[in-house]
Amino acid sequence: MSSPPHILVIDDEPQILRALRTILTEKKFKVTTAARAEEGLALAAANLPDIVILDLGLPDMDGIEVCARLREWTQCPIIVLSVREGERDKVAALDKGADDYLTKPFGIEELLARVRVALRHASRTQTAPETPVKAGPITIDLAWHTVTRDGEDVKLTATEFKLLAYLAANRGRVLTHRSILTQVWGPEDADHTEYLRVYVRQLRKKLEADPERPEYILTEPGVGYRFLADE
Amino acid sequence: MTGKPENLGRPIPRQYNGVGMQLPPLSYFLRYLFAIAFIAATTAVFFALRGTLDRAPIALLYLLPIVLSTALWGLGPGVTASFFAFLTFNYLFLQPYFTMTVHRPSDLVMLVVFLIVAVVISQLVGRAQMGLTAAREREREATQLYELSTVLSGLHDDQAIARVLAEHLHVMFRAEQVELLISGSDPFRFQLPAGIRSPQRPPELAVAIQAARGVLGEIRMWRPAALPSAGERRLLQTFATQGALALERAWLGQAESRARILEESDRLKSAILSSVSHELRTPLSTIKAAATSLRSGEVGWDSTARLDLLAAIDEESDHLNLLVGNLLDMSRLESGALKPQRQWNVLSEIIGSVLQRMHRLAESHRVEVDLVEELPLVPVDYIQMEQVFTNLLSNSLKYAPAGSLIRIHARPIDDSSLYVQISNEGPAVPEEHLDRIFDKFYRITAAERVSGIGLGLSICKGIIEAHGGRIWAENLPAGFAFNLTLPLAWDGAQPPRPQVETES
Repeated sequence: MSSPPHILVIDDEPQILRALRTILTEKKFKVTTAARAEEGLALAAANLPDIVILDLGLPDMDGIEVCARLREWTQCPIIVLSVREGERDKVAALDKGADDYLTKPFGIEELLARVRVALRHASRTQTAPETPVKAGPITIDLAWHTVTRDGEDVKLTATEFKLLAYLAANRGRVLTHRSILTQVWGPEDADHTEYLRVYVRQLRKKLEADPERPEYILTEPGVGYRFLADE
Repeated sequence: MTGKPENLGRPIPRQYNGVGMQLPPLSYFLRYLFAIAFIAATTAVFFALRGTLDRAPIALLYLLPIVLSTALWGLGPGVTASFFAFLTFNYLFLQPYFTMTVHRPSDLVMLVVFLIVAVVISQLVGRAQMGLTAAREREREATQLYELSTVLSGLHDDQAIARVLAEHLHVMFRAEQVELLISGSDPFRFQLPAGIRSPQRPPELAVAIQAARGVLGEIRMWRPAALPSAGERRLLQTFATQGALALERAWLGQAESRARILEESDRLKSAILSSVSHELRTPLSTIKAAATSLRSGEVGWDSTARLDLLAAIDEESDHLNLLVGNLLDMSRLESGALKPQRQWNVLSEIIGSVLQRMHRLAESHRVEVDLVEELPLVPVDYIQMEQVFTNLLSNSLKYAPAGSLIRIHARPIDDSSLYVQISNEGPAVPEEHLDRIFDKFYRITAAERVSGIGLGLSICKGIIEAHGGRIWAENLPAGFAFNLTLPLAWDGAQPPRPQVETES
């Protein structure tokens, strides 16, 4: 890449801003910070950042509203920050167009991993053809509809494959229950989380070494699922 | 006549049955008629026996119906009977017959004496009867008051007090309708019989329920009978006073228990603060010490000491985060805000993600998950159940010896509930503590030995109970276990069993 990716951080806590600016600058990102939503929205419009890190608990505007306002004109990845109790806000922000979330307090590796996934996903949307997705022993060929584990074919039902394909296509990103259900089962089944639970269990049984301690199809408590593929 | 009050599971006040007799009370006019008819009937008998009986025994015999009339129907009818007997005796039995005139002076004397004796006797009998009536009435009042005060003394709720008071008033005053208006912090109206609108006319009897600190309410009664006597007014006043006393006592009791709760929660708050600040300071001290020694430059850049210090900062901040999370949950549990957001969930997934998150802490022990194949879906709040398993597991890790086995087992008990057990090989808990370990800030061991503020288990209990389940602890032959049950039905619906298609 020619110029370093530009990250806009919107958070009202000065300590967080200070820490993130230090760490992200160290990691060779260009960092802009804003302490209020209005300021953040203005900076986003002026600087066109490659990624926005947005705290959901801002004093002057609801974080979900900020997501919606950004999505009116930009598709740049948004990672929201929230507290443990804010599951509903997280889900609302994700359904309103945020790409990922982190729960405070978070480790910096986690943040960097999310940033990498978001940037890669943003660049991938422009370049079409998909190579097979690899996750440990699992290989998923989205074009040929085949799944192998340690080189052996894994037999999946049509719905299981559809679900796995959607997870794999969005590898590294969190997907809400609603978005998976809408995508795989259809909008009329968007509230039937039990379908999802049962099919995820099926998939884990077929793909994971220990279905009780999954390594690739991860649960995001109260929010959804995330497929962890090789980088 | 009295209406029948609703039976509310308490003894109903005794019904009133006239004065001494088993006869129903008669109307005023009817009593006089009966007295006269009685005399007329006896006169007919005497007239038939005229040939065999002399006038003197007849005069004596006449006293009998007179006394009886007085006893049966009271003083007025008795005296009326006396005069009527006097007239008929004169008319039918004294010469000349069938006239009111008397010829013989001795007859005249007899007649006068007869009249005096008859009137005096009926007066005496009547007075005695009235005295008896009054005594019985007073006894009945006393009994009613005693019953009322006995029942009232056992009540601590103003609604119940109003009900009992209304029932007694209804019986005692033979009221058609009783209405109690109770003021106080939560005013209400109580009616007996319930569900009937009070008559439009003003109540015949009304009295304020007056206590030392003011008017607590009002008693209003409607009844078709005559206006209340002075005695009845006095009695009503006494009833009202009893009611006022009971209400005042109930309200004072409530105020006192509120004050006690406040005091208790105040005490608890200081306990929380001191415990929490101690608990928060421990990880903070570690973090501070590690960070300052890293900054001092005395720790080698590549030394293991440096890695240890960094790990300590990381772990201790996780610990702090868990503490703060538990505190927040506790406060939400207290305020009733921890309402489960239920969804159909897979238990193994919840347990799996807890193990995933705690894998570093759990490395010290062997954790075995033993779930029955194809457990039904459970209607629970994912996040809250995760919290429950996190707390139960972290408690087991804390108390069970390193390297020992921790086992998580789950199976359905029947169609309606699921049973989960988390057992460990830790030390037994004395039987008397088994229930109390779920209390807030309750810890069996000395605070220094094991970290924690004793909130984890009480949060588990709160969450499980909010889900309609049960949690309890148990000593095993070789270890200790937490058991819990969770209902499988949600709003009456059984767990869905989504059809899984077969591979094509």
